[in-house]
Amino acid sequence: MSAHQRGMELDLSWISKIQVNQPAVLRRAEQIQARRPVKKEWQAAWLLKAVTFIDLTTLSGDDTSSNIQRLCYKAKYPIREDLLKALNMHDKGITTAAICVYPARVCDAVKALKAAGCDIPVASVATGFPAGQTHLKTRLEEIRLAVEDGASEIDVVINRTLVLTGQWEALYDEIRQFRKACGEAHLKTILATGELGSLTNVYKASMIAMMAGSDFIKTSTGKETVNATFPVAIVMLRAIRDFFWKTGNKIGFKPAGGIRSAKDSLAWLSLIKEELGDEWLKPELFRIGASTLLADIERQIYHHVTGRYAAYHDLPMS
Amino acid sequence: MAATRAGARACEIFTTLEYGPVPESHACALAWLDTQDRHLGHYVNGQWLKPEHRSSVPCQDPITGENLASCLQAQTEDVAGAVEAARTSLENWSTQPGAFRAQHLTRLAKMIQKHQRLLWTLESLVTGRAIREVRDRDVPLAQQLLQHHAVQAHTQEEALAGWEPLGVIGLILPPTFCFLEMMQRICPALAVGCTVVVLVPPASPTPLLVAQLAGELGQFPGILNVISGPASLGPVLASQPGVQKVAFCGTIEDGRALRRALAGQGPELGLALGAESLLLLMETADVDSAVEGVVDAAWSDRSPGGLRLLIQESVWDETMRRLQARMGRLRGGRGLDGAVDMGARGAAARDLAQRYVREAQSQGAQVFQAGSMPPDSPFFPPSLVSDLPPASPCTQAEVPWPLVVASPFRTAKEALAMANWTPRGGSASVWSERLGQALELAYGLQMGTVWINAHGLRDPAVPTGGCKESGSSWHGGPDGLYEYLRPSGTPTQLPYLSENLNYDTFGLAVPSTLPAGPETGLSWVGQSPGARAALLWALAAALQRRESTLVSRLERHGVELKVAKAEVELSVRRLRAWGARVQAQGCTLQVAELKGPVLRLQEPLGVLAIVCPEEWPLLAFVSLLAPALAHGNTVVLVPSGACPIPALEVCQDMATLLPGGLVNVVTGDRDHLTRCLALHQDIQALWYFGSAQGSQFVEWASAGNLKPVWVNRGCPRAWDQDAEGAGPELGLRAARTKALWLPMGD
Repeated sequence: MSAHQRGMELDLSWISKIQVNQPAVLRRAEQIQARRPVKKEWQAAWLLKAVTFIDLTTLSGDDTSSNIQRLCYKAKYPIREDLLKALNMHDKGITTAAICVYPARVCDAVKALKAAGCDIPVASVATGFPAGQTHLKTRLEEIRLAVEDGASEIDVVINRTLVLTGQWEALYDEIRQFRKACGEAHLKTILATGELGSLTNVYKASMIAMMAGSDFIKTSTGKETVNATFPVAIVMLRAIRDFFWKTGNKIGFKPAGGIRSAKDSLAWLSLIKEELGDEWLKPELFRIGASTLLADIERQIYHHVTGRYAAYHDLPMS
Repeated sequence: MAATRAGARACEIFTTLEYGPVPESHACALAWLDTQDRHLGHYVNGQWLKPEHRSSVPCQDPITGENLASCLQAQTEDVAGAVEAARTSLENWSTQPGAFRAQHLTRLAKMIQKHQRLLWTLESLVTGRAIREVRDRDVPLAQQLLQHHAVQAHTQEEALAGWEPLGVIGLILPPTFCFLEMMQRICPALAVGCTVVVLVPPASPTPLLVAQLAGELGQFPGILNVISGPASLGPVLASQPGVQKVAFCGTIEDGRALRRALAGQGPELGLALGAESLLLLMETADVDSAVEGVVDAAWSDRSPGGLRLLIQESVWDETMRRLQARMGRLRGGRGLDGAVDMGARGAAARDLAQRYVREAQSQGAQVFQAGSMPPDSPFFPPSLVSDLPPASPCTQAEVPWPLVVASPFRTAKEALAMANWTPRGGSASVWSERLGQALELAYGLQMGTVWINAHGLRDPAVPTGGCKESGSSWHGGPDGLYEYLRPSGTPTQLPYLSENLNYDTFGLAVPSTLPAGPETGLSWVGQSPGARAALLWALAAALQRRESTLVSRLERHGVELKVAKAEVELSVRRLRAWGARVQAQGCTLQVAELKGPVLRLQEPLGVLAIVCPEEWPLLAFVSLLAPALAHGNTVVLVPSGACPIPALEVCQDMATLLPGGLVNVVTGDRDHLTRCLALHQDIQALWYFGSAQGSQFVEWASAGNLKPVWVNRGCPRAWDQDAEGAGPELGLRAARTKALWLPMGD
C-alpha cells in the first residue's frame, strides 16, 4: 500500500458551521438503494469487485489459531476456482483486501498467510476495542504491540466520551497519538457511529479523524446496536469529499457491521460510486468489514455461473 | 462461446465498474395495445368507442420514434355522448350511500394493483419518464389516493353534512403527467358522488387504460369516461348541458384563455396551472441535502416543470460546486431502464428547454450542462443557468423542465421578496436548519405548498394547490373534496351567457372616481386570531349601540320596522359568530409516510374586493364583511347602490375601531367599480353579487391575474338564512390554504 497520509493541523472552523439534516439524509439513503440496480454480468463483475474490498473479519472471544488459519486460506481463495474460470477471472488474483483480527491473533494470521504464500495485509483492531474505555497508555501500547506482531493496518476505536462532550481538540490529540503509534502501519479510525448521538456528530468526528491523519474512517465496530447504515455512510462520505476538496487528500472509507448479503454489497458499491466517484472504488480507498458477506457473494456467483442455487457445502468453508 | 464472451465482458466491467442496462420489459404494454389492434378510441360508459370518420394521431415512443398506436380524435358529438353517459350515471352514483361508493373505489384500487405492471410500463413507454419514478411513486400514490378517498366517502354523510356533489365534472389534462393529474382529481370527485368526463390530449393512452379498468368493475360504467382530443375541445366540454365544473390542468396561458371562454357559460372553473417550483437555500442549510432537493425538484422525473433556485450569497460558490459535481452523476437514458434518473419528454419539451437556454445565453447567462447531447437526440441534459438577473426578459417566463435557474440573494428578507416577486404561486421548499428562520420564510411565501428541508413530498391527505397565477384549485385533503361539493340546496348552474355583452365597454359609460389603491393591512394579517375576534366583537357592540339609527335608515329605505330590527339584530349576530369562528384556523394533518406534521394553514387572500348585493343593504354587507375580516383580509367593498347609507354608518365605527386602510368602502356607479376591481391586477380575489352581465364580466376579467372569483350569476341569495348568509362556504372562500410540511428527525 502507498504511504499513509500525514494529517494536518487542527482547524475547528471546518466543523463549526456544519449542518446535517437527518430526515433529508434518510430520504437520500432510501433513494440511492432504489435508483441503481445492477443486473446480470454487471452484477457478477461488481460482486467479484466487492470481494476485493472485503476485510475478512473474525472478532470473537473463541478465535483460535485453527479458525484464523481457515479464514486466511479463504481470504486467499475467496471464490471457488472453477467459478472464476467460468467468468474468465481466474487469473486476476482475486483475494479479499485484508484479514481483520484481534491483536492477540495477529501472529496466527501473519503465520498462516505466510504459509499460504499470500501477501494480503493483516489488520488488527486496537485501543480497547470495541468500547475504547481503557487508559490511553494501554490503548497506545496495544497499537505498538499489534504493529510489532506484524499487523500493517490498525483499526482503532475513538473515545466516544470525547465526541459526546464536544472535546474535539482532545479527540484530535488522541487520534494524533494513535497515528504516531502506528508508525508505518495504516490507521483506520472506527467512529462507532451508532453511539455518537447525531449525524452532525458523525460528520464532525469524521472530519477530526481525517485531520488527525487517519487513512480510513470506518463506521462501526460491529458490536454496537446500530451498525453500518446508509444515512451514516452518506454523512461520512460527504465529509471525505469535503476533506478532499479542501486538502487534495483522498481518505478511505470502511463500512463494517451488518453487511451480510450480496445485494447489500452492491448497494454499497453504488453508494461510493455516486457520492465519491469511481476513483474511490479500489481497496486502497474502500473496504467492507464483514465475516459472512463473502459466503453470500460466492453463492450468488455460483448461481450466476450455473443457474442453480448452491447448498452451503457446495462452497468451501471459511 | 457465449460463456467466454460473457466472461470477457465481466472482465471489462470488473475494471471499469460501469453501470449496465436494466431494461424493464414493455411487452405487457404492447400486448394491451394489441388488444385494441393498436388503435385507441375513447372509453365511454364502460365500453370502447371508435367512431368512423375521425382523424387520428399517432402515439409514438418519444425515444425511438416508433409508432405504438393511433389515437382517434374526438369531435363535438363524441364529447356530448360522453357527458350524456356521465349525466345518466350521476343519478344512480350520487344517491348511493358513501359507504357503498367507498367500496367501489377500494375495488378500483385493487384493480389498479392487479394491473400495476401494465400501468407503469405503459406510462413510462409513452411519456418517456424514468420507470423508477412511475413504478415507485406514481402508481403507489394512485392506489393511496383511491384508498384515502374511499375513507372520505365512507364518512361523507357525517363529516360533510350540508354539502352535496356538484354533478358532472369535466376534467382537462395536460400531455405530461396526465395519469397522476387525473388520479388526483377523479378520486375526490368520484368519492363525493360526482361523475367525470376526462378530456386527455391526443396520444395519452394511460388514462384510457384507467377508465377501462374502472369499467371492468362492471357496476357504474358511466362514472368515469375518457375521451381523447385536442385542447380546443375544452370549451365544447364545458358548454355541454349538465357539466357543473371544469377542472383544468395545463399551462397558464391556456388556463387564461379557457377562463375567458367560459365566462357566463355556467360551470365553475378550477385551474391548476404552471409547473415551475422554487427552492430557497439559506446559509444555515445542510447544503448537500439541499442539492439533493434540487435533484428531486428538477432532475429526477418527479415534477413536470423546472426550478427557480435562490441561494444565499455566502454559500453561493460552495453550492454551485456541489450542484455541478452532483449533476455529473445523473444518468439520462431510456425511461424504461431501471437505473436511469431522467428519461426524455418528447420533442416539444426538449425544444422548449433548448429555446430557453439559447435565450438565456443571449442575455448573458452562464449555462452549465452535464454531458452534451447531439442536436437530434430526444434527450435534453440537466442544465443549470446562472447570472440571469431578475430584470432580464428571460426570467419573466416559467422555467421549463429540466432547467434550474439559480440566483443569489443577501438576506432572508430579500429571499422572501425575490421568491414572491413572481405572478406564480405553486410550490416551494425552504432549506435552513434554523427553525425560526425556516418558519418565518415558510409563512411568508405566497405559495400553495411549502416543504421545509425537503422537496416534492406528496400525500393524498395533504391539500395541494396554488395561488396567484398558478390557479386556486386543490386536490388532496379536505380542500380537494370541497372542489367537487356545494352547499346542499344550491341551484344547478345553468349558462347565463349574454351574447351581446361587450367586455370592452362594460362599466365604461359613466365616469366616476377610481377607487384608490387599498393599503394592504399588514398589521391586520399579523394580528392573532384572538385579537381579530376581539375587534369583530367590538364592531358588533358598536353596531348594537347604533341600532336605532340603522333601523330608521332602513325604514326610510322602505323596510318594515320589524324586518329592519331583525336585519340589524342578525347583522350583529353575524359579526359575533365570525369573531368566534376565527379562533379555529389551521390544523395538523396526519401523513402516513412522513415523520413529522403537515400544517394546513388558512391564510388571508390579501386584498379581497366585494361587490355587495342591492338587497339586504346592511345584512348582506355585514355577512360578507365579517368572514373576510375574520380571515385577515384587507377588504374593498362596494355597498348596495340603492341604499348605501347603512353601510356607510358602519364605516364610521370601523374608522375608529379598525386599523386604517383595512376596510375601504367605495360608492359610485357599480358597473364601473366592478370593472375597475375585476381588472385590477393587485386585487387577489373578488366576490360579486349583482347582475348576470356583471357576473359574466367579472369571470371574463378575472383572467388577468387569475384571481379567484365568486359570482351570483344574477341570482338572489337568502342572506337572512344562516345556510346562505353565514355558511361554511363563506369561510372557505375568504381564505387560502397552504400546506406546510415539517419533516422531523435528528
